[in-house]
Amino acid sequence: MTSSRLLNLYTWAFLAFMFAPLVLLIVSSFNDTSPPSVTPWEGFTGKWYAFFWMSDADLRADPVLRLLDRDRLVGCFQNSLFISSMVVPISLLLGLSGAVVLTRLKSRLNGVLWWVLLSPMLAPGVVLGLSALVFWGRVGVHAGLTTIIIAQVTFIASYALLILMARLQRQPVELEEAALDLGASPFRVFRRITLPFLFPALVSAAIIAFMASMENYNTTMFAKGGACNFATELGAMSRNPNGHPPVINAVGTVIIVLTVAAASLHTFLQRRETR
Amino acid sequence: MSADVQLDNVWIRFGDFVAAREANIHIKDGEFFSFLGPSGCGKTTLLRSVSGFLEPSEGRVLIGGKDMKGIGPNKRPTALIFQNLALFPLMKVWENIAFALEVRGTSKAERRKKADELLELIALPDQGDKMVRELSGGQRQRVAIARALAAEPDVLLLDEPLSALDLKLRQHMRTELRAIQQRVGITFIYITHDQGEALTMSDRIAVMNAGRIEQVGTGDDIYSQPQSAFAASFVGEVNRFDGTVAALQDGFAVLQTPLGPLIGRNPGGLDTGAQASLFIRPEHVHFADPTRLPFANQMLAELERRDLEGAFINLHMRTCSDCKMPVSLHMTNTGQVLSLTGNAAEIGFTAEAAVVLPEGEVAATGADEAAV
Repeated sequence: MTSSRLLNLYTWAFLAFMFAPLVLLIVSSFNDTSPPSVTPWEGFTGKWYAFFWMSDADLRADPVLRLLDRDRLVGCFQNSLFISSMVVPISLLLGLSGAVVLTRLKSRLNGVLWWVLLSPMLAPGVVLGLSALVFWGRVGVHAGLTTIIIAQVTFIASYALLILMARLQRQPVELEEAALDLGASPFRVFRRITLPFLFPALVSAAIIAFMASMENYNTTMFAKGGACNFATELGAMSRNPNGHPPVINAVGTVIIVLTVAAASLHTFLQRRETR
Repeated sequence: MSADVQLDNVWIRFGDFVAAREANIHIKDGEFFSFLGPSGCGKTTLLRSVSGFLEPSEGRVLIGGKDMKGIGPNKRPTALIFQNLALFPLMKVWENIAFALEVRGTSKAERRKKADELLELIALPDQGDKMVRELSGGQRQRVAIARALAAEPDVLLLDEPLSALDLKLRQHMRTELRAIQQRVGITFIYITHDQGEALTMSDRIAVMNAGRIEQVGTGDDIYSQPQSAFAASFVGEVNRFDGTVAALQDGFAVLQTPLGPLIGRNPGGLDTGAQASLFIRPEHVHFADPTRLPFANQMLAELERRDLEGAFINLHMRTCSDCKMPVSLHMTNTGQVLSLTGNAAEIGFTAEAAVVLPEGEVAATGADEAAV
């Protein structure tokens, strides 16, 4: 009785610890004061959101917003979209190859390979970014979007690998053997049996890879050279000497909403596949 | 088309482990051939070397006289029915069945037509548009058969396909499988650990143990004329008496056992002094009739336990207090109640019904365990 009450208490304390800051972030994104705060309540406003689409005249009229470089922020956001549009397919391809090798080819080297493929996930992001910067600099590739993509792929491919491997391990090998036995070429077996089975996992992996790419800060920070993405630019904005503008809270709120939506979709897809 | 299958001195090794040794078998064209053995005896390994998932470490596999070396499973004239059936869960029933045709580039209309024909054959008409998960176990079983037959193989390989079904369905599917084999007329190679399945369906059976083929023959041969201690003990129930061969008399051997001398056929030509075991089926052990001549082998025994099996009653008899040579005896169930407990009775069997075989590994299950 007491122990279950204790557990309840712990659970609620934990949830509060996790979510209270998010609630503050969301509430303050609607408060008409900068730097963002919940108290005192200066009145409800949507202008921290409207920043992204308001006219130039309105923008110049606002004492806080006019100090921000909107075009640069939007440009960096577009960079982020471009980066993830490259990172997601490359990571899925690499992760899929790794997953097939690890689950379908029984090799003595699999144990070693497993650690090699997963090590980028365990390595500090700073190290990944820095090594990409140094290595590709030596090779002659200038730090920029290319190095960001390369550095992100090194660890995001491991996420894809883990997700796809978990799924492949659950597909009985007999299904592929049966297709092969009925005359299908190995390529057709992959396309007709393995790939359809993998589809939900590919969607999950793509969503997770996309989110990881969008939100990654530390690896990107070191690999970016003169380029920027959304995360690094928000980081730069938050180091504003006047306190960080509530626009960041507005962005944070949107990200929370999108994340919850994506996570719900992911859960929904997983439910459907276990049906 | 149908084809014969020849295993020519096939050895299969995994590292130091020998999964199959010295397999020499010629499976005839159109034959229903079974490999019978306990799990881990190497029967599935041999089957996989015929289907092409494994290459023998040594020796050759020939199908229709052609050496299959280097030919992959997708190029061999065989179709395999897996133990777990391996039906494709994301395809409809008819797409499953027509998969082999899809691979060959047959048009969709033709595939559907062929699938419907096969659905008719397996008595599942109009079920083509269902998903596999909507079918019952027995129906899935039949879909797996239809899918394999659609590939028009010369040889159909079956890896314990009935093991997941319940008893009644299993017995029904035995007859069904046998009928399908006779209808399509192709060679069936059947893997099982269930002697009932092997005995009822097969033209011939190979009994396997620990990677070795112990005996090849018809079901009758193997049941009545076992050639090794393992074959005798794995197929059917059997009583065993260990001892030393004491004397030989034209075709028979006298075995000196703790119960005294016992006599049985000597098909292996054992010499005096050899360590051997005498095997006798429980249905060949009878109560002695005092008005007639005694059996060649007769002994005093006490009833220990009576198991009602239905058509017959299995009586577990103790032959001596501490010699660990129990005898089980099958009596036709005539409805009369027998009260023997504690009373000694004379039981016995003829020399012709018993067989003396060289000492060897015996199956872990069967009469031995049941009688202890």
